[in-house]
Amino acid sequence: MSALGGPAQTGGVQPPTTMGLALSIVLIIVALALAFFLVQTAGLIALVGIIVGGVLIAFGVHFVPVGGAPAAMGQAPGIATGVAMLAAGAGLAGLFGGAWAAPFGFAVALAGGAVGGGLLMAITCTMVNVIYVFGMGIPAASGKVAKDPITGDTFPEYKSQGTEGHGLPFISWVGGVIGGALGGLGGTLIYLELLDIYQTQLPVILNATVEQIASVAISLAGIFAVGMFLMNAVLAAYNITGTIEGPHDPKFKRFPRAVIAAATASAVAGIFAIALLELVGVF
Amino acid sequence: MEEIVFGIGITALAGALATVAGAAEDTESDIGSQGDPNSQVQLAPQMGYIHRIFNKAVAGEPPAYGLWVALGAGLAWAFMAMQINPILAIVLGSALAVFVQGVYATTAYLGRTASLAKFGQPVYIDILKSMTTVTMAHAFVAIFTTVAMCHLMIGALGHPFPLPLLGLVWGIALGAAGSATGNPFYGKERQYQEQKFGAGVPISASGNIVRYAEAGQRNSLDNGFFSAKLGGPASGICFGLIVFFELWRTVVFEELSIWGPIIVGIVVILVFAIIDRYIEVWARKNFGPYTAPEEAST
Repeated sequence: MSALGGPAQTGGVQPPTTMGLALSIVLIIVALALAFFLVQTAGLIALVGIIVGGVLIAFGVHFVPVGGAPAAMGQAPGIATGVAMLAAGAGLAGLFGGAWAAPFGFAVALAGGAVGGGLLMAITCTMVNVIYVFGMGIPAASGKVAKDPITGDTFPEYKSQGTEGHGLPFISWVGGVIGGALGGLGGTLIYLELLDIYQTQLPVILNATVEQIASVAISLAGIFAVGMFLMNAVLAAYNITGTIEGPHDPKFKRFPRAVIAAATASAVAGIFAIALLELVGVF
Repeated sequence: MEEIVFGIGITALAGALATVAGAAEDTESDIGSQGDPNSQVQLAPQMGYIHRIFNKAVAGEPPAYGLWVALGAGLAWAFMAMQINPILAIVLGSALAVFVQGVYATTAYLGRTASLAKFGQPVYIDILKSMTTVTMAHAFVAIFTTVAMCHLMIGALGHPFPLPLLGLVWGIALGAAGSATGNPFYGKERQYQEQKFGAGVPISASGNIVRYAEAGQRNSLDNGFFSAKLGGPASGICFGLIVFFELWRTVVFEELSIWGPIIVGIVVILVFAIIDRYIEVWARKNFGPYTAPEEAST
């Protein structure tokens, strides 16, 4: 029985249904086939990149410790905001860094995106503990585990009466940074794949040079990357339902379902992004 | 070398703008109860506690600020394309975005509060008149500084994203940083000021927010006054540090090696890990446990 009066928290792990799995596989295969048919091998590679990016985002969101409204009253551990919102903040900051580093090559841009997302989360999580400790006089305590898996700190005696725990234990801090880094990595990967596609297609369609279409290609790729980031983050947030403490939370085990859903959603949304210019060309 | 010095100057300026933006954002959202503590403002009348707190939470801070900053940035971008001076363009764009925020705040307060009619919670027109303009003023500061910061990133540092897209990205990050840092201070320390200091709010106290001030009933201006002392500045430092380190590692270390910003970023993350762990251990040592150690109940 939890302090919130709900049933014992089993984590609510539900494996994906056979029907859902079959539908997802069919949709992904159809999207990949369409990508190959419309933009040949480059389209296929780009869509695979987008699917991997989407999966990284959805998986990363599960690491981010989010406590929602109860965290704002010191009633539950985590950061006092929404799952999708915080992940989006971190991932988009990563995308900012990744897009900036794009001219230096694929690997540098991806690493730049991951570090950018991780950095936002590192600073935010530290400031959350600063406020809890120096503003409210409350030490960090997890409600889901008795001991921090990294530091070995015990929590039950540091949990104030009538609450589920509070603050950000170190394992949640680490989870936040990993989540931000995975989000930044995924968002940047989607951006780079789309940028590559648009930079190849736009000069042909508009009969212009790569330099002339650069701003259009960057804007389009950026907007689609932001859109797909939000889509995958929200999908993962639905899977989490409310709050999560990080990788040590039983809810973390739910991630396979979100990963499959994100792969399918990214494939379907990705085919529209990749074939956008083909569709524009038709009209 | 000169380029790096110029870059560092711009980085410092962008960091300073971000700090002001974070502080204004958190104070604005606390006056409007837009962060997560809105749940308690909404819950209170349902538990029989009628109050005079403003509540405009129909969207989380990150998407709301994503909208307003992207709107301000988009309009500023359009004005700049019309050859209007950038400073004037940013002021005009931010002012127009603030009108959208004002409409949002008004309809959100009326809608949220009217939904509590069956619990006897009145819609106070004087609250609407006096609070909305204050949130608009704070929102203007937050939007203007963020758009100005985005303009610097493009104009002086050469980021490839167009201004509206950068506005969306940093608007969402601003809301995320502000709500993460400022919400607990407003929620626990202000709404539940009567509860014990140094402990979380017991779940049984939910909805019993403080409704009376030194003189008369408490309103959201009192809450803004309170959170501007710590929650706002802390949010400002949080967002300022994010923007500063994000720019600084690229501006300074990209010249040395293309991997420089990444290595420095990882080092900064590790430094923050040490700071966080130090704070956590410091709190455990100085505050001590609430009860004697025992086995976990779960």
